[in-house]
Amino acid sequence: MKKILSVSIIVFILFVSGFLAKNVYAEDTQSGKAAMSEMLLAYYYPQTDAKSEISMRIVNRQGQVRERRLTMLRLNQTPGGDQFYYIYFHEPADVKGMSFLVLKHVGRDDDRWLYLPAIDLVKRIATSDKRTSFAGSDFTYEDVSGRALDDDAHELIGEENLGTHPCLVVRSTPKRPGEAEFSYRKFWIDKTTHLSLKVEHYDLKGKLYKVYETQEIQTIQGTPTITKAVMRDIENERYTEITMKNVSYNAGLTSDIFQERLLRRAPRQWIGE
Amino acid sequence: MLGKVCSLILIAFILTISSNEVLFAEPASIHGFVEAAYGPKFSGDKLTQKNDYNFLEERLQLKVDYRPQKPAWLASWNPEVFFKGDLLSDEYKETVRYQVREAYGLGSPLSWMDVKLGRQILTWGTGDYLFINDVFPKDYESFFIGRDDEYLKAPSDAGKFSIYNHLVSMDAVVIPSFTPDVSFRGDRLSFYDNFLGRIAGKESDRIFTEPAVQFKNTEIATRLYRNLGEYETAIYAFKGFFNQPVGIKNESTKEVFYPKLAVFGASIRGPAPSVGGIASGEIGYYDSLQDRSGDNRLIENSGMKYLLGYERDFQKDLRIGMQYFVEQMLNFDEFKVNSQPGDIPRDEFRQLLTFRITKFFWLQTLEASLFTFYSPTNSDAYIRPRLAWQANDRWKLTVGANIFFGKHDWTEFGQLEGNDNFYIRLRYSF
Repeated sequence: MKKILSVSIIVFILFVSGFLAKNVYAEDTQSGKAAMSEMLLAYYYPQTDAKSEISMRIVNRQGQVRERRLTMLRLNQTPGGDQFYYIYFHEPADVKGMSFLVLKHVGRDDDRWLYLPAIDLVKRIATSDKRTSFAGSDFTYEDVSGRALDDDAHELIGEENLGTHPCLVVRSTPKRPGEAEFSYRKFWIDKTTHLSLKVEHYDLKGKLYKVYETQEIQTIQGTPTITKAVMRDIENERYTEITMKNVSYNAGLTSDIFQERLLRRAPRQWIGE
Repeated sequence: MLGKVCSLILIAFILTISSNEVLFAEPASIHGFVEAAYGPKFSGDKLTQKNDYNFLEERLQLKVDYRPQKPAWLASWNPEVFFKGDLLSDEYKETVRYQVREAYGLGSPLSWMDVKLGRQILTWGTGDYLFINDVFPKDYESFFIGRDDEYLKAPSDAGKFSIYNHLVSMDAVVIPSFTPDVSFRGDRLSFYDNFLGRIAGKESDRIFTEPAVQFKNTEIATRLYRNLGEYETAIYAFKGFFNQPVGIKNESTKEVFYPKLAVFGASIRGPAPSVGGIASGEIGYYDSLQDRSGDNRLIENSGMKYLLGYERDFQKDLRIGMQYFVEQMLNFDEFKVNSQPGDIPRDEFRQLLTFRITKFFWLQTLEASLFTFYSPTNSDAYIRPRLAWQANDRWKLTVGANIFFGKHDWTEFGQLEGNDNFYIRLRYSF
């Protein structure tokens, strides 16, 4: 009888603690998801449209530098929803004039086109693998246009100051294992701007292999904007620096320009030389 | 020889740079590349002009882009003038020539209209190295010896009028002077000469007659297109001439010509349901206007062309593409009845499969690719392996090969068996 009582007490305690723990966990995932959702909105969706000139410096283990210069136009259809992207390459010389048109969809593969001016070819690009390197850099396509909120489970694991910035620390784990090359990522999200200041990528063995760091934030047209960042590949000892220049919001982009014409005829009023 | 070429290149370069600074006070930019290329033959037949290689050349390409800001009425059209030309020192032909690849003016007289006038490269359709409704000239010689893919497309002197609308957009291309494909003549690539009835090289002496530059010979190509959801759809119409000399004017004098042609077609491209990747389909009806009944054995019959394509990407920069292409000869019974001994045998349905695999390494600085054509009906094949290494932002090294197989001498790839080569190209871009 005594034994039965103790067993039932243990079971009860286990049950209650499990219940409580589960509740706490639920709260954490909820706030983790909310923090991540705010980050995605602040980073990938600020204002209705944006124009920016992006420079990338890709530095390998030997210290050799490759550079990319491009103009990016972005238009939101709905905040947090589908988006249009247009990317025009100015440099290096051998890809000058090449452009991308991307219709980003939430919940299905993006539509992506590539234009090769030398042969006047508009090519449709398959986009099943978003973890592909963007233009040979340490950033992936997903880093450039955002990873879907629901592709990961987000868990708030703490709060920490990064320099003078109080941050939420969120751990994001892919829901479909094997779909990404990381087992989880850790985000430091600035409590005031909601921008991520640091992202650590852990490989499938749990080892840190890639670190993203924001190096400069400027407030442009009232919107805190990351203007300089770096992605370091620790394993391969290389990194990519990305710099945003001449960022402007609400440039007046409309959805009707994001069509084949934009590829075949670069919009000089926005991309300049 | 080489010294002369180098000094010529240098002079041309300096001239262009300096003229740019004097003339273009307004925004203009100059870019381009210098390239050296060598394509030794495996062993091959000894029929062409040179036996050991099928290309050895140095090339300087300069591109100038200029956007006039004055006068004001013109500036409002958002005008653009573009020029691209190649100075080619061709050791195979032992010549130095200048080739204007593009030279056009482009403007938008209305917000929903673009006009592009001049020499330009024109491309549309869904095929990968296969063309149905893209009726614009190709340079197959460049393709088969291993020049850059850019040179597969030959320029047209044309006016292109584009009208944009959210319901349907349209391109109309007017080509006043016919440009044929650059194809086999025997000097650089040996091929099956049907007059000689065997593989021929430089001794091939066919006479080519192009349509005269006359108003009635103006070629017109149109495309109507729109997106339906994530699917791109288009319909096409063309009236002009075959780009290949598929008509015989006079058998005894070996005169060939480019018969009149009309093409009507359609295409669709978009995501493949459930499996992912991109699927495409294209169809075209080739109306051979000078032999509609198919009983003239000297002129190509009408035909239908069908193409199905599929491409998808995998993790780690791997991409795979496949195509199934069918060419159906119409009025096949007439063809059979009228054929004479010595005519090239043909199938009613010629089938062709292509397979492409591409993978990038070293943060996309090394590209390995293999493109294969295989025709089960013609029993021939063509494979194009290639490695391209981008050493840095300026230097690129490309090596590859062109290898042909065939059971018969007269099929598309079989006739090229004696032209197998390996090639190497080194390019500096600026």
